[in-house]
Formats: sequence, C-alpha cells, structure tokens
Amino acid sequence: MENPQKILLVDDEQVITDRLGPFLYRAGYQVQVAKDGDRALALVETFLPDLIVLDVMMPLMGGREVLRQLRGGENWTPVIMLTQVGESSERTMALLEGADDYINKPFDSNELAARIKAVLRRAHPGQPPLAVAERLRSGDLVVDRVRQRVYFRTKEIELSPKALSLLSYMIVHPEELLTRERLLDAVWGWDFPVGTRTVDTRIAELRKALEDDPQDPIFIETAPGLGYRFIGRVEKTI
Amino acid sequence: MRQQQWWRIAIILISAIILGGIYYLLTRVNLLINPTLYLRGRLSALLIWSWFLLLVISATHMIFQTKRRNKYSEELEKLRYENKITRHRFLQRLDHELKNPLTAIRAGLTNVTSDHLSDYVAKEITAIQSQAVRISRLVADLRKIASLEDMTLEVMEISITDLLQETVDSLKSRNNPVDQELILITPSAPWPLPPILGDPDLILLAVLNLIDNALKFTDPGDTIEIRASEEGKYIAIEVADTGRGIPEEEQDRIWEELYRGSQSHGIAGSGLGLPLVKSIVNIHRGRVTLRSKPGRGSVFCIYLPIP
Repeated sequence: MENPQKILLVDDEQVITDRLGPFLYRAGYQVQVAKDGDRALALVETFLPDLIVLDVMMPLMGGREVLRQLRGGENWTPVIMLTQVGESSERTMALLEGADDYINKPFDSNELAARIKAVLRRAHPGQPPLAVAERLRSGDLVVDRVRQRVYFRTKEIELSPKALSLLSYMIVHPEELLTRERLLDAVWGWDFPVGTRTVDTRIAELRKALEDDPQDPIFIETAPGLGYRFIGRVEKTI
Repeated sequence: MRQQQWWRIAIILISAIILGGIYYLLTRVNLLINPTLYLRGRLSALLIWSWFLLLVISATHMIFQTKRRNKYSEELEKLRYENKITRHRFLQRLDHELKNPLTAIRAGLTNVTSDHLSDYVAKEITAIQSQAVRISRLVADLRKIASLEDMTLEVMEISITDLLQETVDSLKSRNNPVDQELILITPSAPWPLPPILGDPDLILLAVLNLIDNALKFTDPGDTIEIRASEEGKYIAIEVADTGRGIPEEEQDRIWEELYRGSQSHGIAGSGLGLPLVKSIVNIHRGRVTLRSKPGRGSVFCIYLPIP
C-alpha cells in the first residue's frame, strides 16, 4: 500500500481541529495540526503536506497572509481555505490569491473530505495550480482573473458580476461536478436552496455569451438533476 | 411639510402689514372729519393693534416650533442610523461567534456516527444533527439580513412576469409537489407589467420567502394566489392565501427579527423570513404591507418602484 497523503490542518480553534483531525485520519490521510500561521509555515517545511486546510480568521497571522507567504515563496501546495461566508470579498480574494478552493464555515465534514479529494485529484505536485494563474484559457475563451475581464474569440464580452464570479469559479474547477448548492454557497454565499432559477439564469447568460449549445457543449455541461461541470480543457496563459 | 409652515408665516406677516397700513390711513381721515369718530377710531385701533400683536406672537412661536421640530427629527434620524449600525455589528459578531462552535458540533456528530450504534443512539444523533443544521440555517439567515444593508446590489432590468412564472413553474415541478392550489395572475391587457430595476436574485429570494411562508401557514386544499399589478409608480406583488391568518395585534410585529406569531407553534421556521423580505424590499426603495383576517387568510404585498 502506498503512503497515505499528508494533510496540514490549520485552525486556532482547538475544538475544531480535535474533531476534524481524527475525521481526516479515518478518511485515510496522515494529519498534522497547526494552531497559528507561524507554526503552519514551519510545518510546511518539515511535514511537507500534500494539501493544507487553512482557516482564514486566526489571530496574529491570518490564513490569507500564510497563503501569500507560501505562494510568494513559490510553494504550490494545494490549499483549501475555511472562509467566513459573510465576507464575499474574502471568498473572491481567496481564489485570486491562489487558494485551490474554499469552504464556508459551518460546513459538513463529509463535504470537506469531498473537496480535499477533488483538489488532490486535480493537483500536479510541484506545479502551480490553476488558481495562481492571472489568465486562464480554454479554447477561444480567456478569463483575466485579476482584471475581472473575459475575452471570447479575442473580443471582450460583457457579463454581469455574478456570471463573471460564476465563470471564474467554474474555470478553476474543471471536470468537477459542481452542484447548484455548492455554486450558491461559493458564488452567492447562500447555503440554503432557493430553487434552481438563481444559478440556472446565470448559466444561461454564460452559455449565451459563449455561444455554448447546452445539447452539445464545449464549455459548460449540465449534469441532469445535479448541477454543472466545466468540461473545456483549461490552461494557464501569460 | 416645512415649506407649508413657511408659507403660513409669510401670509400672516403680509396680512399684518396690510392691516397696519389700513389702520394708519383710517386714523388720519377720521381726525380730519369728526373728533367723536376719532375716539371710536382709537378704540378700533386698539382692537386692531392687539390682533396684530397676537399675530406676531403666534408667528414667532411657529418659527421656533418648526426649528425645534427640525432639530428633533434630525436627532431622531441620527439615533436611528446609530441603532442600525450597532444592530448590524451585533448580527455580524453573533454570526461570527456561532460559526466555530457549530463547525465543531457538526464535525463531532459526524465522528460519532457509525453503523454499529444502537437504534436509540442513532436516532438521538440524527435528531441532534438536524437541529445543528437548523441553527446553521438560522445563522445564515441572520448573516444575510446583516449583509444586505451594506452589500452592493447587482441591479438589472427584471421582468416580474417572467420571474413569477418561472418561480411558480419550478414550485409545481418540484419533487414533492405542493398540496395547495397555486394560482398566478399577471396582467397582459391592455399592456403587460413594465420592467423594474433591481437585483434579480434578491427579488426572487423575497418572493420565494413569501410563497414559502404562505405554504407553511395553509393546509392541503387551501389556495395561494400570486398576483402582480401596476399601481401608479409601483409594481405590486401580492401573495394571498386562504390560510389561518394573523391576529391583528401581531400584524405589526411579524416583520421583526425572530418574532414568531401565536399561529406558528409547531411550524418549522426561523422567524427571519419576513424580516429578510422587508430588508430586501427596503433596499429596493419599496415597501411591504399586510392584510389579514384570522381564520380567513392573509395577503402579503410587496411594492417595487417602476423606474
């Protein structure tokens, strides 16, 4: 049997790490816990985790600062941020600063396990993840994540802010099944079902702008009854 | 209001000046013609003078009163604003302080769940789990209300007709279809509803909350009628039901956060649905109204301005 993958769990609330640590251990990972940013950065060097679960709100050094230092030092270890759902700017920033995914507190541990699995599957060890790229390309589509602009067939296209956030989220999670609930939580910050319309109208807006035929899609595929999947091949551009 | 006050004061002052002029002319003329008439003139002059004095006093009084009232309403406005900020901060802190314990509780419950539990323990854990989720939802609703006040609206043109049609369609095609009769009435003649400007996600959230509320307080076989109409400068969206209605003394309070009416015992809910509706409508510069008769039903109405 190959060595279990290593997860570094960073949260200042011991009551949370005491619960999640054993849970992730039982899920088959080797787990180390850090209770602040300094210890986390030190453990990254010695423990060499395959993935870091990082809380945003910590005294002294917050999760975002830890992430900035990691990425600044060209460390591409995948990171899942534990964010505060109230701050929508915080969520967008997490992805922009190079986190691979984020999950809003309070969350279900099983959902965290699913996200960890998805991020690890997508990760290419030692290589920067899609989330650190300034611009991403998929066929004729280019998303400039820093300037929040979208180009299709070299022409800039106008999208509503929500559709843009949705596209930005989907394009860094290619090939992953994104349920409507997850998209609502990630893009809108709503963690309860409000019907399907909210997500569906924005998907329709994206499809129209990208001339994507729902029956024969190049970019966004519908998973009937479940959600959506970004199926275009995504690459980093300079 | 204030402008009217000033007009009244101006009219009083002008009439006082005119009356003073008439008095002056009268005394001059009388003195020349007849001395007894002159005396009588003095008497009427006294009357006119006292009237004039009264006018001046009441005018000054009015000026001071307006000033005082203005100052008072300014202070009231300031106080209300401060209250709003404090309340907002309180909701944010509450939300923040509840998140970590909830994450821990839910993670702990997942940890102790396994296939080897006795039926009794498994049942208890499931019950605690669903309550933890319920609190999570409550926290989410609280946060939504708090964040509504300073969020940037994503304003675009919305067709209320389409929005309502799709909402009703999606409710009817749900996995567990509703037992109440859902009726949607939107005008098409002589013209359809004009579009409004707003955040479509929030407007939808408000409408869904009202319908959800109606579904909760009605029984199978009841009717829920969703009507939209043009009322002057507003579009009125009404959600009417033949449910149990709301006692008059509770009708003002149901818009308050966490208030649960006497009819809501045994019905799941956070007491935050209607306050959320009110907040959403307020930030769109609209207003909400309620008409209800216990035992007959309720009509909740949202007015949204037409640009």
